Amino acid sequence: MPATRPQTTVPAAAEKISRKGFLRNLGIFFALIGPGIITSNVDNDAGGITTYSLAGSEFGLTLLWVLIPTTLALIVIQEMCARMGVVSGKGLSELIRERFGAKVTFYLMVALFLTNFGNAISNFAGVAASMEIFGVSKYISVPLSAFFVWWLVVKGSYKSVEKVFLVACFFYISYIISGFLAKPDWALIGEQLITPTIRFEADFLTMAVGLVGTTIAPWMQFYLQSSVVDKGLKAEDYQYARMDVIFGSVIVHVVAFFIIMLCAVTIFQAGIKIETAKDAALALAPLAGKYCTWLFAFGLLNASLFAASILPLSTAYTICEAFGWESSLNRKFAEAPQFYGLYSLMIFLGASVILFPNIPLIPIMFYSQVINGLLLPFVLIFILILINDRKIMGTYVNGWVLNLISYLTIIALIFLSGMMFYTSLR
Amino acid sequence: MAINLSPQVFLFLSQILGKKIVDSTGRPWGRVCDLVVTSAEIYPPVTGVLFKPIGKKAILRFSWEKIIDLGRELIVEPANIGNQIEVPVKEGELLLKESLLDKQIVDTHGAKVLRVNDLHLLKVNHSLRLVHVDVGLRGLMRRVGWEKAMDRFFQWFFDYHLTDSLIPWRFVQPLSSPDLLRLRIAQNRLAQLHPADLADIIEELDIHKRSEVFQSLDIETAAEALEETDPKIQVRLIENLNPAHASDIIEEMSPSEAADLLGDLPKEKAEGILKEMEKEIAEDVKELLVHPEEKAGGLMTTSFPALPPQANVQEALDHLRQQAENLDLIYYLYVTDAEEHLLGVVSLRDLFTAHPQASLADLMDARVVTVTVEEGKEEIASLFAKYGFQAIPVTDEHNRIKGVITFKNLLEVVAPQLGK
Repeated sequence: MPATRPQTTVPAAAEKISRKGFLRNLGIFFALIGPGIITSNVDNDAGGITTYSLAGSEFGLTLLWVLIPTTLALIVIQEMCARMGVVSGKGLSELIRERFGAKVTFYLMVALFLTNFGNAISNFAGVAASMEIFGVSKYISVPLSAFFVWWLVVKGSYKSVEKVFLVACFFYISYIISGFLAKPDWALIGEQLITPTIRFEADFLTMAVGLVGTTIAPWMQFYLQSSVVDKGLKAEDYQYARMDVIFGSVIVHVVAFFIIMLCAVTIFQAGIKIETAKDAALALAPLAGKYCTWLFAFGLLNASLFAASILPLSTAYTICEAFGWESSLNRKFAEAPQFYGLYSLMIFLGASVILFPNIPLIPIMFYSQVINGLLLPFVLIFILILINDRKIMGTYVNGWVLNLISYLTIIALIFLSGMMFYTSLR
Repeated sequence: MAINLSPQVFLFLSQILGKKIVDSTGRPWGRVCDLVVTSAEIYPPVTGVLFKPIGKKAILRFSWEKIIDLGRELIVEPANIGNQIEVPVKEGELLLKESLLDKQIVDTHGAKVLRVNDLHLLKVNHSLRLVHVDVGLRGLMRRVGWEKAMDRFFQWFFDYHLTDSLIPWRFVQPLSSPDLLRLRIAQNRLAQLHPADLADIIEELDIHKRSEVFQSLDIETAAEALEETDPKIQVRLIENLNPAHASDIIEEMSPSEAADLLGDLPKEKAEGILKEMEKEIAEDVKELLVHPEEKAGGLMTTSFPALPPQANVQEALDHLRQQAENLDLIYYLYVTDAEEHLLGVVSLRDLFTAHPQASLADLMDARVVTVTVEEGKEEIASLFAKYGFQAIPVTDEHNRIKGVITFKNLLEVVAPQLGK
């Protein structure tokens, strides 16, 4: 520093900063988190919670261990997407369009729209079910919630929307609290968590596959990558994006763990047969107290609302990106008609399907799962090709260790989704 | 063959890609995989064809002149097909599929970033030229193979004839590689855009293209666009430049915008840039830098017209005429003494209507509404609303003028709160 400029405060301040290096890093982390945590949490949507409840109440604690490999698989896949987003600055559908052309992209987007639409419907069903526990008719709760999530996104900006979403993530804690309310035997649970149990029975295997399938869905990869891009992270900030992804993937499975565990120590032990998440919530009242039911229902409502908003949003983003249409929350309706149009269509059509009496909900869910299973292998293979393309990734391509891990993960996932596809067709 | 009879035929790239190449004896050679154009002309002519020979992996190229006929198949002279050269694309050449199809472009007429669904070519006699870029739904469906079905559906369901949305090539700025942007510096089409539109386009691009596009602009256009860009993105764009280049651009910006930007940059980077800047401008900017952005001191600009009270109207008008280019504000002229005490204000309207020899002291309005450097934006906004001024001067405790807040400066901090 030149002597002519007496800036004695600067070194002192610098020292202060370096001493608080950890806190500063934490600060940066909190400024950059969001995409990974939000994406992972949306994954615990109405369908996810139903699957976890069923897994716990039908098979007790025996399936808990599946969560550990699933967490790892989720981290591997999501990390690649976050890396692609940071390095290329482009969304996954954009990259696919530029690399694989219009035809492939078109069919991929049609499939994605259909499966996401099915998911959107199931989330409005989740809203209806959870509000019915509180005694609110679905004819009131579903239109109100549809309007709420629509208004939130169409009238808000990205910043405000992300804040609301992060708050929604926090509410998943209700499942953790309700887990503690059941006063479980922690030693036994810990043991089950680390003991892989496989039973070669069709039901058991189907449920195990279902657990994995509900956690790793095609839309997530698109959404995560787009929101990483939207955050405008630089390659230097990549480590924070990775932390975000890991943190999110772990949290999502902690929540899943508590749901399975709760249903296992209560419903499974009491030998009650349930079919939906609503049944699970209601069955909890005599076993673990009415607060437990309320918390469970509240968690379901939060998750459904959250996913009912993000899924259509993600779909609209992905499709507009692929076809080069204006897509940003910071635009007005008239400036991005396709974007808001797709978003609104999914929400209002999804919500009105639930309001129809005698709607064949099960076949809708079924076909949406089938398309989901068909789509996932393609998306995963595209991710692998893109992440190893030096033109796009430069020096950030996968190393051989990472490639080996991701190949194994992806082969396992393709195998599982093929099995799910097969069992659901039977 | 029908195509040869009509002198002008429109073709789409998607119809040519994948076509079989045969020689005049009917022997198949391979399939078309890309077309090469020379991009210097307004409507670039196709000069080469890239193709994949049957049973081989390599991609080869031959000259467009060797083509005898373009119909259902591409027919070439048999003798010449041996002169294939390996792929390399020379400077000034553009690969249609590789660098345009499915990629992003800027439509400089409509000021939008769009994705290319297809390319529209015109065949005149023997030459084929790129004339339009197809960005519409119909182009997309053509690629997917549903064009006819789509047309029929629209006709039947909406009674609507779906048309192609084509953008003339002269309004297209390709973005896919930095070379393409550099190629066009001489005739950079982006410079034709309004700075605010250009800023919107820059914001819309991904991080890499943003810097590529920004760095392809000339200094003046870059500065104008930068002023209109979101502060966060401003910082990114400047961070990627070397201090010398950055300071050239920042010098062209208005001092208040420049100060806001430098204030957002990391300290070292900002100091590096300030060192490279012209002394005088750097001093102005430094003065503004000490004030917080949302206070009067941070909003104000130091580039405003001021003259002593003895000056007459003619001198004042001459002064404005000479300095207008560099001033952030010309509508008000501030009357100050040698110590920069603010004595009064004269508007451009007053100057135009007054006698050329009248002195500013006689003409000026001495009741000037001022604010201090510490004034907050809400208070300033309400003053603007109350008096309807174009600008409000900022003074210190001794009534010395420090700067002027223009309505535009204020709007920039207030606009985000106005809602959508």
